[in-house]
Amino acid sequence: MDLTFLERFLWSYIFLALIMIMGIALYGIIFRPHIIKKIIALTIFGDVVNVFAIYIGFRGGVIPVPPVYPTWNVTAGTIREMLSRSVDPLPQALVITAIVINMAVTLFIVFIAIQTYRLYGTLDARKIKELRG
Amino acid sequence: MRKEDIALILLMAAIALIAYLVAYYGITGPYPFYQLRTLGAVYIYVTLLKQSGLWAASPEAVTAILWDYRGLDTVFETSVFFLAIISAVALFRLTPKYEKEYKELGKKVKDTGLSLIVKLITKIVLVMIIAISASIALHGQLTPGGGFQGGSALAVAPILLIIGFSVWYVEKLGFTKTRALTLRTIGLVTITLIALIPIIYSLITMSGAYILQNQPKPGAPFSYPERVLGVFSGSLLFLNIAEYLAVANGFLVTFILLAIPEVIYFKIIKEERGGE
Repeated sequence: MDLTFLERFLWSYIFLALIMIMGIALYGIIFRPHIIKKIIALTIFGDVVNVFAIYIGFRGGVIPVPPVYPTWNVTAGTIREMLSRSVDPLPQALVITAIVINMAVTLFIVFIAIQTYRLYGTLDARKIKELRG
Repeated sequence: MRKEDIALILLMAAIALIAYLVAYYGITGPYPFYQLRTLGAVYIYVTLLKQSGLWAASPEAVTAILWDYRGLDTVFETSVFFLAIISAVALFRLTPKYEKEYKELGKKVKDTGLSLIVKLITKIVLVMIIAISASIALHGQLTPGGGFQGGSALAVAPILLIIGFSVWYVEKLGFTKTRALTLRTIGLVTITLIALIPIIYSLITMSGAYILQNQPKPGAPFSYPERVLGVFSGSLLFLNIAEYLAVANGFLVTFILLAIPEVIYFKIIKEERGGE
């Protein structure tokens, strides 16, 4: 089954938007001097990567359904229906893991940033770089 | 030209190149997502099919993968989360002297928080948040959701309380740091126990078993109850409840720590530096 030009265009459009957001996030991480802005950019970057991973599990060509059985009585028919329409569950499971790890890392960085501010009175990366000890 | 400008130009060029490739191959190239990948298809096939011998007693494939098929991943992920929160608690710890001062500050401060309207609405919304988060966590093995999602939803409640009322109000309700850490540890210990019970069972009965085993597999007869109160459960329900407890209380600890007034920490730093 082949896809129409519109479907391909929309698919590429969303990917392009994600890549642009990733570029903005990388810009924020590398070039913005304020630590909190760097952290915000880092979370945006993590979210973009997660959306990419979710997109890998998406299916074109059919109307996709979530990988959840709508009934408890499985028959050959339900399984065939699920296999023909369900999206891939594995990226979703991995993304939940990634979100948790992302959250834990962000939490820890935020705590370190607050402690840095308390000790040195600044969150400017250019000034922190010059500090010794 | 400064170094930063060159780096910026390189970054923009790389992004433009990737964007061009995606646009070009996305429109003209092959479209690879029509078929389900074999691994994903296998998980969907076996998750509710008892005859397959590998089923997870859960109509929801994502939770089945999280806590059964790839359960060890989730256990390690939970331990990363645990370590992050423990290190945050270690960084922001209060000595007994300052803990007392923090409590006394709470007695002195009057009329904290926002207006009466906000407080009333917060109380109403709070009930809904707790109900929704419990439903997300307890239905995790049947519908999209699970322990982590429910715990994150419940973590909104302490934020609302801290902003609408004050951090001392949260502690007055009984949600102290120590209690939250205890509940969190109970959740983590429960996860460990649920993971190890099949192994203990196999040592007693001299049969085979897998760590984090849920339903009987070929050569490993151990099984958690297939249904609890008539709905599918397996070990997933218990693991979800334990994770719900652990995540919600982990967030509660960090939010309380973040809300402790800065005055106290500045005093601690001043003391550590020798009264500068």
